Formats: sequence, structure tokens, C-alpha cells
Amino acid sequence: MQQILVIAKQTFKEAVRNKILFIFIILGLITICGSVFMPVVGDGREKIKIVESMCFRSITFFGTLAAVLLSASSIPTDIENKVLSTVTAKPVQRINIIFGKILGFVYIIGVLLLIMGSVSYVLIRVTALKESSQGGRGLLAREKFDPVDLQIAGDSARKIGNVSWIGGGKEAAVWKFKGLYSKDKNDDLEIEANFLIEAKKKSIGKIPVKVKIINPSSARVLTESMEISRNKPLFFKLNSKSLDGSGELTVVVSPENPDDFLGIRSDSLRLFWGEKSFGCNYLKGLIVISTQFFLMVIIAVLGSTFLSLPVNILFCLFVFFCGNITDFMRDLSTVINIIETREHDHGVSAVMQKSNIFLIYLNHIIKKPILLLSYILPDFRYFSVGKYFIDGINIPGIKILMGFGYAVLYTLFCLPISFFVFKRKEIA
Amino acid sequence: MILPFAVDNLFLPGKAWKLSDDFAIKTEDLTKAYRSFWGRRKVLALNKLNVVIKKGEIFGLLGPNGSGKTTTLKLLLGLIFPTAGRAYILGKPTDDVAVKNRVGFLPEESCFYRFLNADETLDFYGQLFRIPRKERKLRIDRLLKRVGLEFARKRPLKQYSKGMLRRIGIAQALINDPDLIILDEPTSGLDPIGTKETKDLIVELKAQGKTVLLCSHLLSDVQDICDRVAIIDKGELQISGTIGELLSSKDIVELLIRNLSKETIGEVEMFIQEKQGEVVSIKNPSGTLEDLFLKIVHERRETGWDKSEMSD
Repeated sequence: MQQILVIAKQTFKEAVRNKILFIFIILGLITICGSVFMPVVGDGREKIKIVESMCFRSITFFGTLAAVLLSASSIPTDIENKVLSTVTAKPVQRINIIFGKILGFVYIIGVLLLIMGSVSYVLIRVTALKESSQGGRGLLAREKFDPVDLQIAGDSARKIGNVSWIGGGKEAAVWKFKGLYSKDKNDDLEIEANFLIEAKKKSIGKIPVKVKIINPSSARVLTESMEISRNKPLFFKLNSKSLDGSGELTVVVSPENPDDFLGIRSDSLRLFWGEKSFGCNYLKGLIVISTQFFLMVIIAVLGSTFLSLPVNILFCLFVFFCGNITDFMRDLSTVINIIETREHDHGVSAVMQKSNIFLIYLNHIIKKPILLLSYILPDFRYFSVGKYFIDGINIPGIKILMGFGYAVLYTLFCLPISFFVFKRKEIA
Repeated sequence: MILPFAVDNLFLPGKAWKLSDDFAIKTEDLTKAYRSFWGRRKVLALNKLNVVIKKGEIFGLLGPNGSGKTTTLKLLLGLIFPTAGRAYILGKPTDDVAVKNRVGFLPEESCFYRFLNADETLDFYGQLFRIPRKERKLRIDRLLKRVGLEFARKRPLKQYSKGMLRRIGIAQALINDPDLIILDEPTSGLDPIGTKETKDLIVELKAQGKTVLLCSHLLSDVQDICDRVAIIDKGELQISGTIGELLSSKDIVELLIRNLSKETIGEVEMFIQEKQGEVVSIKNPSGTLEDLFLKIVHERRETGWDKSEMSD
């Protein structure tokens, strides 16, 4: 353990004395502070959103860059400078070198997060204070509840992709919520609806809808007529007393006009109840981000055991890039599949069909490797928290646990490979 | 192969070794072949090296560039792994990490963290040996004084000259008070005074009962301080033995006589001629290690024998 700590301290000292750490921190702070001067269209909340978004993006970007560049370069540079030959000539197990380096990078990332995170927090607080004093909404960390079920009532609803289109007077979307709970029972429930609209009169940007809120346990029904605007979410508040302590709620939405259509997704309706501490939420965000940095360090250290410095940096950036677009990669694979299916879908019997060599190659050379990569490479969506802050949503504990668990699993997969490769590596 | 000079029996290739615990280093058919990216054999850097270095001696390993000296040291330290054969350090296989507690190593190039100063460098290596803080501090002070770097102890190594880096390298090799010290070109980059001090230090280490394995191109240095030497070329052991054995000429008899008059010398000379002997010189025949080294390498090159260098 002492050797691990010594190597970790050395790794940290190297980053500090070579001033690399400070370069990342300074660049990050410039971007963070620059967010205050970004032009904003909208109310005070928009300004806070911009600052929050920029702060988190800066921390993520510069933190990832620091994690990748420092951890990807450390072992190859030490080998190239032959420093590692003097270290491995000492009674140091090679596994301790790997652990020491990783711990050193954790120190580095910790300092980076501490400095950038503190400055960001102060900046967000100051911005929120300023905007609140001007009547805007301050910092939000609302507790979000997802519907347990979404049903489309009526037979003629069309489904295109993941959007179901319901027509006025014929169909209705029914969301069911369960387990609604808030510490502060006096808080109002807040419902946010994001629908796509299709009106007969294209010039009209609003359509009337009927919203029914039903308490299944008491059978109390509240009916409201509202107008939904194109590209603008609908907010409405509900007195928590309408819940009657049951924690269950059903929301039914349908267009009033038979010629109007509403495009519904499963996440079109969101329910918020209760406010959490922003500071606590911010800390949770930083924890999730730091888990992502840790994962990048593990991957970079793995790469550094068998790749040269430039190749390893490219490898890490590739992993990070692909890890952020795993959805797109899987979609791309599906798109190729659809093209392939359509190509053969001409009513000609399978025997008569002539194989399209391009599609065969596309299938084997592109589709399968992309699909495989999307499952092998780490999925960084587990660590994306920026959206929570932009939407003013409290990060659920499960999100942190999932991110942490995913990082642990991936680490358990990568570390033994790193040890195995490094133990057999010739330090010439 | 007929060796032109006297050879220490310990170094005959393929000899069956008698196991004993009085050796510091022993290699058995130690072979190293470097391979290309695709795993094909590229070059045979070391071919069946059999060497035994006894405890308490200063042993010189000589050879031209690319002969396999540094490869041998790296194999002994477990930095690289043998393709075939085995090596033992202080009675333990080279992959035994614990034995490194008793080994000091000075690499060919002084490669250290350049942002650290001398104090921090020695402290770092001392901590890797788990030397307690107080003891570490004492050793650092003593070593810095011994290598003459006390005046620059707080200066970052990036500001050091090549000679100063060599000195700090020697200091770090001794931080653990090792039983076996492996020095790769210890006097490289040192001025004549530094060279003399380093040679004195090596002799002093021997006097303390430590074993020193020394690689050097500076043959006069090796000749001055080594008890035994081995010359390797193209990965193969060419010759080895004590300096005296290697540099003496077998067909020439050397008589060291004190207080002999010129007349008596003349009579002795005449007596030898009567006995069909030829007096070459009345002085002792002498040679230098450098002559021997160059002869060995030159002879080898002239034969054009290139078996050890294997290509794809």
C-alpha cells in the first residue's frame, strides 16, 4: 500500500509541477466564467439554465480531456524516458505501479473537480440570486415522477416511430402515476406537457385540449380545458390535496377539436412534486461526473499498457466519442437493417431475389461491427447529468447507483486486462 | 571454438553448474530474442549466456555497442523476459520481486523525474524500498555528501549536468544499501575527478563485501577495478576470466628477479639461449585490456560469422 501511495503522490506531483493540471483548470475556468456573458433570450430561468449547462459542459469536457491526456500519456512517457526502468528495478510489484498511477489520476481529477466545481457552484448561485431578485425562477431541483403506464385509448391512433398520434374526440392518452410522495405535503404538483401538434389550420399555433385528472382511489375527477402551443411546453399546477394521500393519479389528455392531432411520446408528460436542495443535487451531479472521469482513467491506463502515446490518446478519444453516441450507433445499425429489408421487399420470391453485394458488405463490414462496438464500448449515457440541471430535476439516487455500478463493472473488466498486459510488458 | 587465451572454467558455455550459494549472479543458457510486431524473430540479442559472478567481487561486462550487455542487465533485473534459459540473483530467480530489495541499479542513461530535486528523487526511491523516514533522511544526507551533490540537493534535476545526473544515479542505486550493485556505464559523462571518485566508491563497496556488476566502454576503468571480466559480442560470450589471466601471455615466461647485476642478466640470457630459449625482452610483457577487447571483436568481425543476427 505504501508503494501505491508513493507512486500516486509522484504522479500527482508530476501533473502539478509540469503545470498540465493548471492549464486544464485555467481553460475550464475561463469557459465557466464566460458563460455569464452568453446572450440569453427568455426569462431569468433561461439565463440560469445557460450558466448551469455551460458549467457542467466545461467540467465534463476539461475533466475528460485531463483524465484522458494525463492517464493515457503517463506510462508510455515513463517508458520512453526510461524512468520506469529505474522504478521496476526496485522491489515494486507491477500491479502496484498500475494502482499507484490510477490513484494519482484520481487525486488529479479530484483537485480539478474541486476547483472547477466550487467556482461553478458560486457562479450558478450568484446568477440565480441575481435572476431571482428580478422575479425569475431560481435554482430548481424538483423531484420528478415517471408514469408507470401510458395507454392510448381509441382504435385509430397512428404510431410513427415512437410517436403516437391521437385525434380529437376519438382517442385519448392516459398516463398513470403511482407512488407519488413528497416530504412537504403542501407543495403543489407541477405537470409539464410536451406534445407535438398537428392542426387542420396550419397557421394556428395552438390547439385546445381537454385534460382530466383522476384520483383512482377517491374517483375524484378534475376536468380542465387548456390550449397547447406549438414548440412550447404546457405547465399547470395541481393542488396536492387532490391526491388525498393515495399517491396515485391518472392524467387523460385528448384534443377537443376532431381535426386536431396530438403527437404523444412516453415522456411527453412529466410530473414534479417537491423541491430538493440544489446544493445536494449539484454534489450528486459532480459525483456522477467524477465516476465518468474515473472510468476514462481506467480505460486510458488499460490502453497505455499496450499502446504507444499518440495511439492511446486517439483510442481514448474514440472510446469517449463512441461512448456518447451508443444510441446513434445502434440506430445506425437499425437503419442499415431497414434499408436491407426494404431492398428485398419487392414482392419477388426469395429464390428470385438477387443478392445485393453492397448490402451484404454493408451488413458484415459496417453493421455488425458497429453494433458490437456499441455494446463493448462504455456507455457514457449512464453519466450524463447536464439534462437534469437544465430541466431543474433532482438527480435520482438510482442514477448515481447505476453510474457507479456500471463504472465498477467496467473497471472489473478492464483492470485485470491491464495487470495481465503490464505484467508481461517488456520495459526496454 | 578454440579460445586464444586462458579462460576461467566458470564461464565455459554449456558447463554443468555446481549449485552453490556463494554466487551473486548466475545465468544458465540465458537467451533473448527480440521479436517483430507480428511475433516473428527479429534479432537474437543474447545467445545462451552462462555466467557466474561470485559474491564480493567486481565483475566487468564488456562488449561493443549492441553486443547484449544492457540486455543482460535488463534480464537480470526482470525488466525484460528471457526467451530461453534462466538467471538467478542472490540465489533467487529474477522474477522474484523481493530479491530486488538487495539490489541497486544504475541505468545506462540517468532517467529520473526531472521536476524533482535530488532530495526528492532519493526520497522517492527510498520510499519504494519502504525505508523508514528517519533512516531515509540519514541515508540521503550521507549519499549526497558521498557523491558530492550536497550543494545542489534542492535544485531540480532538469538543471543538472550529465555528470551530476550520473552522480544522483549512483546515489539512488545505493539508497537501499544493496548487496549487489549493477552499474551500467557508471563513469559515462563524469569528469576525470568524478571518474576517480566513482572508481574509489566501487572499490570501497567491494571492501564492504558487496558485489558489483559493471558494464563499461571505458576499458581502463574496468582494468583498474575489476576482479574478473567477460567480453560478449553479438549476444555471445567470447572470453572471461580474471584480468591477470586474460592479459598474460602463456608462451612467454616472466621472471621477476630483484637485485640482479647486468653481468648475471647476461649469463642468464646466455643460459637460456643454450637451452634453445629465446629472450624476447628483459622487461615484463604487458598488454592492455583495450588491446584484448579490440582483438576479440576484430577477430570476430573478420570471420564474418553472423549467426547470432537472425532476420525474418
